Amino acid sequence: MSLAGYRIRVQRRASVPGWKAALFSVLAILFGLILFSLIFIQAKQNPLEVYRQIFRYAFFNEYGLGLTINRFIFLAFASYAFIIPFRAGLWNIGMPGQLYLGALAAFGVVYAFGGKSGQVSIASGPLIVLMVVAAMVAGALVGGIAGFLRGKWNVNEIVVTMMLNFILFYLVSFMIKDGGPFMNLGGRGESFELPDAARAPLIAGYPYTLVLVFLFMIALQVLFARMSLGYQIRAFGQSPPAARYAGIKPFRISVLVFLLGGALAGLAGYHYFAAVPGVYKIARTYGYFGDLSFYGLICGLISLGNPIAALFMALLFGGLSIGGRYAQGKLHLGFGVDFALMGVLMISLVAFQFFYHYQITFSRVPKSRALAD
Amino acid sequence: MLAFFIRSLEAAMIFTFAGLGELVDQRSGILNVGLEGIMLFGATLGFIAAQETESYLIGFLVGIGIGALLGLLHGFFSITLGVDQVVSGMGVWIFGFGMTTYIGSSHTGPLGMERLPTWFGISPFFFLSVVLVVLVWFVLNRTGWGLNIRSVGEQPSVAEVSGLKVARIRYLCVIFGGMMAGFAGAVYGLYYNPVWNYNFLMGWGFISLALVFFSMWNPYLLLGGAVLFGLLWQVSLNPQMFFPGLASRYIWRMVPFAMTILVLILISSKWFRSRWGATTPEALGKPYHKE
Repeated sequence: MSLAGYRIRVQRRASVPGWKAALFSVLAILFGLILFSLIFIQAKQNPLEVYRQIFRYAFFNEYGLGLTINRFIFLAFASYAFIIPFRAGLWNIGMPGQLYLGALAAFGVVYAFGGKSGQVSIASGPLIVLMVVAAMVAGALVGGIAGFLRGKWNVNEIVVTMMLNFILFYLVSFMIKDGGPFMNLGGRGESFELPDAARAPLIAGYPYTLVLVFLFMIALQVLFARMSLGYQIRAFGQSPPAARYAGIKPFRISVLVFLLGGALAGLAGYHYFAAVPGVYKIARTYGYFGDLSFYGLICGLISLGNPIAALFMALLFGGLSIGGRYAQGKLHLGFGVDFALMGVLMISLVAFQFFYHYQITFSRVPKSRALAD
Repeated sequence: MLAFFIRSLEAAMIFTFAGLGELVDQRSGILNVGLEGIMLFGATLGFIAAQETESYLIGFLVGIGIGALLGLLHGFFSITLGVDQVVSGMGVWIFGFGMTTYIGSSHTGPLGMERLPTWFGISPFFFLSVVLVVLVWFVLNRTGWGLNIRSVGEQPSVAEVSGLKVARIRYLCVIFGGMMAGFAGAVYGLYYNPVWNYNFLMGWGFISLALVFFSMWNPYLLLGGAVLFGLLWQVSLNPQMFFPGLASRYIWRMVPFAMTILVLILISSKWFRSRWGATTPEALGKPYHKE
């Protein structure tokens, strides 16, 4: 195609340098935010002003910042739960199911020590360690089902993880509603409240899970950059046949990545229901948090599976979703602004995938050729 | 008991509409895992349009229209831009899930219109789904169009050399798939479960996707699978009919999803595949770049 004396060509490219990939990600987010401002325009608001308020509330308001940090921790775990299988070319969209069982397991530990009555027969430290371990093991089990089926019989992991989400959604309902074992005695369709001993300690006002996020970031970075297992995961993700030829066992890889991913999703469940100040119970609206974990998919995709970049995305989207909720209340928008934002960001991200594969070049066309065209 | 069977067949017709579109789509080599998102859009916009205009016809047309647009979008991403088809499909799903949650929230609740008429107690859409199954089978296996679609899905480069327009055929198929999914969603939201609630489709799009794998790309098997699933779904929604007093209703709600996984395992096994001679379209999921 030529335009005004320039020839425009679209060429496939083999790979994208890191800084360019980062640039495309930033552009994709900006484009998504511009698209999303249509919703504010439709609500007869000045989008710039709304965004200013969203960011101010999410990052510069003391109360809002607390919410943002807690959501950041949640999204960071959810992103890692997506990223680990993603690096192996597998799709984990089972974060909701994995985090539901993680939360149930953590509450199960408290229940086992008699915590439903408000008192536990165990010291706080060991109890919290047990809760975290239980949440991770439970999440890993749910993830492991998908990994096992994928590795053993090549069962589509997207459908399996999605079905597991619904199964575990109802398991939570069973446990906390209609006289289920974890039901709050007040009968509000939510779980019992954690006794003080089971509540996560705070560091400078934030739950200690914030530290865990950074520990896992380092661990994943080491795994993918320095360890043979990380290399095997990446090799399998790039080309399963080649990986198999190199002696990498597909079954082992798919089980492993789903166990690890599930464990991290379990931690996300632990965080939201047992560590966020003011919650400390499995809320009636737990499904909302499950669905929110799909942000992890966007964070993982947009950061191209990079554990450090994913944290920035988790912080940004955590803030945006908190600020979006705030704007929703203030501007009287409909329920689900944060989900709408998720959808728009996702579609913008997909559109920008184009630039990872293609290059657009402009070159001057000689006058005579231009006429001949 | 009869009402129970009719309800199963009505669930089956929705799976069939969505699955049939996806089947044609996949036969041309395009995988669309965003079926759920398209169905959510069809259900939500169809619901709103019908409620606002008090016309079922407009509701269904809007459902089909938005389905076609989303199919086109998926086609644009995966055919023209060459984006990974799973990434694009996931994008369509999250887009549908997120947007419909917001768009539909002010319409939460029942549709509030007189129910659509039935023939002998069953929705006429069921007969339509059977007719469409036969039609799609005929077109795919007995006509030149079908041959073109299949060859584009098997060996796109060979098809291109022999004079077929690969991109155009794939676009048509993916738009058809979107229209069917949008229509399936509209039937769900306007007839099967006319009470809007956020994410009220409950993964039916993913189940339809699983059914296409189950059908091994044969429309008749798709219909059979859909009827089987419809029955299982109804059994697990009405356990008291068969197993009175056993287990909580929440436990029963898990059953259809668990059943989906079990069936998926069965059909993924080598035993099943070799016995029934599965014919995966060779080029399924692979972007095609014209040389």
